[in-house]
Amino acid sequence: MSMAPRLILITLFVYATGFAQNKEVLYDFYEIPQSLMVNPGVKTSQKWHAGIPVLSGLSVQGATSGVTVNDLFANDGVDFTTKVQERLLSVMTDRDDFSSTSQIEAFTVGFRGKNRLDDYYSFGMYGEMDIISYWPKDLAILAFEGNGGANLGRSFDLGDLNLRGEMVNVLHFGINRKVNENLTIGGRAKIYSSIFQFQSINNSGSFVTREGQNNVYESAISADMQLQTAGVKGFYDIIEEDTGTTKKDVKSLFTERTLLGGNLGFGVDVGFSYNLNPQTTITASVLDLGFISNSKDVWNYTFAGSTTTDGISIVLPEDIDDVDNDKWQELIDEIDAALPHGENQASYISWRPVKVYGSVRYDFGQGGTGRIFDNCGCAVNSGGMSSTSDYYRNSIGGQLFMIKRPKGVQAALTGFYQRRFGRVLSLKGTYTVDKYSFTNIGLGANFQMGPVNFYVLADNLLSYSNIADSHYASLQFGFNIISWNGN
Amino acid sequence: MRKLLYSTLWITGLLCCTISCMEEQDFDQFDDLRVTPTLSSGIFYLESDEETINLAGPLGSFYFQEVTFEAFNEQYVAERLIEGTMTYQIQNTTSKRLRIVIEFLNEDGRVLDVERFDIEANSPDIVEYPVFYGAGGKNINILSSTKSLRVIADNLSVGSSVSANPDARIIFRSGAEFLFQLQ
Repeated sequence: MSMAPRLILITLFVYATGFAQNKEVLYDFYEIPQSLMVNPGVKTSQKWHAGIPVLSGLSVQGATSGVTVNDLFANDGVDFTTKVQERLLSVMTDRDDFSSTSQIEAFTVGFRGKNRLDDYYSFGMYGEMDIISYWPKDLAILAFEGNGGANLGRSFDLGDLNLRGEMVNVLHFGINRKVNENLTIGGRAKIYSSIFQFQSINNSGSFVTREGQNNVYESAISADMQLQTAGVKGFYDIIEEDTGTTKKDVKSLFTERTLLGGNLGFGVDVGFSYNLNPQTTITASVLDLGFISNSKDVWNYTFAGSTTTDGISIVLPEDIDDVDNDKWQELIDEIDAALPHGENQASYISWRPVKVYGSVRYDFGQGGTGRIFDNCGCAVNSGGMSSTSDYYRNSIGGQLFMIKRPKGVQAALTGFYQRRFGRVLSLKGTYTVDKYSFTNIGLGANFQMGPVNFYVLADNLLSYSNIADSHYASLQFGFNIISWNGN
Repeated sequence: MRKLLYSTLWITGLLCCTISCMEEQDFDQFDDLRVTPTLSSGIFYLESDEETINLAGPLGSFYFQEVTFEAFNEQYVAERLIEGTMTYQIQNTTSKRLRIVIEFLNEDGRVLDVERFDIEANSPDIVEYPVFYGAGGKNINILSSTKSLRVIADNLSVGSSVSANPDARIIFRSGAEFLFQLQ
């Protein structure tokens, strides 16, 4: 197999087995310090916490709303071309997508203010890669079936090309404040240090071949397309040069971009938790409300214009004296001129994929008063509604997640049940419905062994019976050291 | 502490491996993929009014031109061309019997193939001539080796007659619909 198909295969595989943007298991799982990253206004109870570098938070998520790896590559004896035709081209729409998000926390630290015990500060750094590509339905059909035969007269939508991807390093600082017994709010400021970004998201145009007014066939194209890239060419040039120090140069450039040496951006997260009554809590957060200004290492590709052609055309007597015999090249040149394609280095702004969470939680099953946070030196939010409130063993509720994607907002609805076994163990089960799956059952576990905290969260557990047939998979785990008192 | 971390990681990894499984996948199937689009395009269009034909005189050529034609000759295209049909459509409302000849020439100017169309006078209906290339038809190499076309349009009648048809013309159309194997 040649390199290009292998790359496509690997990409498909990674997409279909990777990690997602929706962290429904982590959301409002306030025993885990990383829940601050999905709601800066989550209830916090610890005095301080520190993530174990690189191991405090690792999440990978991958999703495909259409075909799965198993659909195409199962060893089922069906001709592969038939599978592509029947399971990919005939089924997937231009709203289907392949997406992948991975996140790794370099470090994270949180601590309660000495003078204001109601304030909990946290800061850290994490890297994130997020790629989404919508299925370019019409372009795929054009490549697979062509413009002739049954497709004569069909208008192929060039706007089906829609993709976006980026890798960023994020430095963040957040404040979580318990305003009163019922309300906790929080905000987080983020500096984005872009490693690379690319997007081709506002394309439009069409291509059609039909019976011609003059000739047998005529083809008409109208296009307004653009691929914007920032930070890509630098890596490409290093690899292309292949000087023998390629690996070192790539590492060096990567490090520079990671540490604010590339394109920079700014964003904020905000959130709150509010107790409607001692047992009912509502929460919400907005994440990554921000942008990156791409002005360094920018390389954009454009393709725009319109033309109609029906081949070489001679009309007499008008062309009687035209003795030029290079008409084929002239035709090519005319089409080229009508459809200018070029490159430029124009700066552009790329918006971060904004995410919104919301939840309502009902606690029940009293487990005692303040037992879970005995010896907590902070006396803040220790169990339930206040330091004196009861500790509930069970929680049940619903969550809503929305993310802004290039073709609109994607939403997911989650129902959850959480069970706490003292301070040592807490389990959370979720059922989520979204465009990727109607059978997404997730499970999260948080273990507290003295000051050592370990959590593992996994999604779409039913798909583990055949991971290759999964439309969506997500895994997240991490280690923290947490203190509730002076230790 | 370190021991604890490694132990937990191992247990997590082991759990994941234990509970997850995957049906047998065969990624080499990709080699079996056949991408064979059918591509269509207009090729050559010739139109002439009767006056121009008359000006060429009786039994004379009113158009004679060699034009480059490399649609099938580009290496990428030539290597992937499987089969297809060239379609010629002719409509003649002039009072002349006409002949249109298309010669397919290679790089050296050698004639590889000839299509000859004799057209009756006053034929307002479009007459279609499909020519198939590939298995059972003409050799596909004719097209992939063609670098230029020589187009000759002859008047086989007198050079003075005028058709009663309004705006009398000869219209010669051609288009191609071919199957390519891209993968």
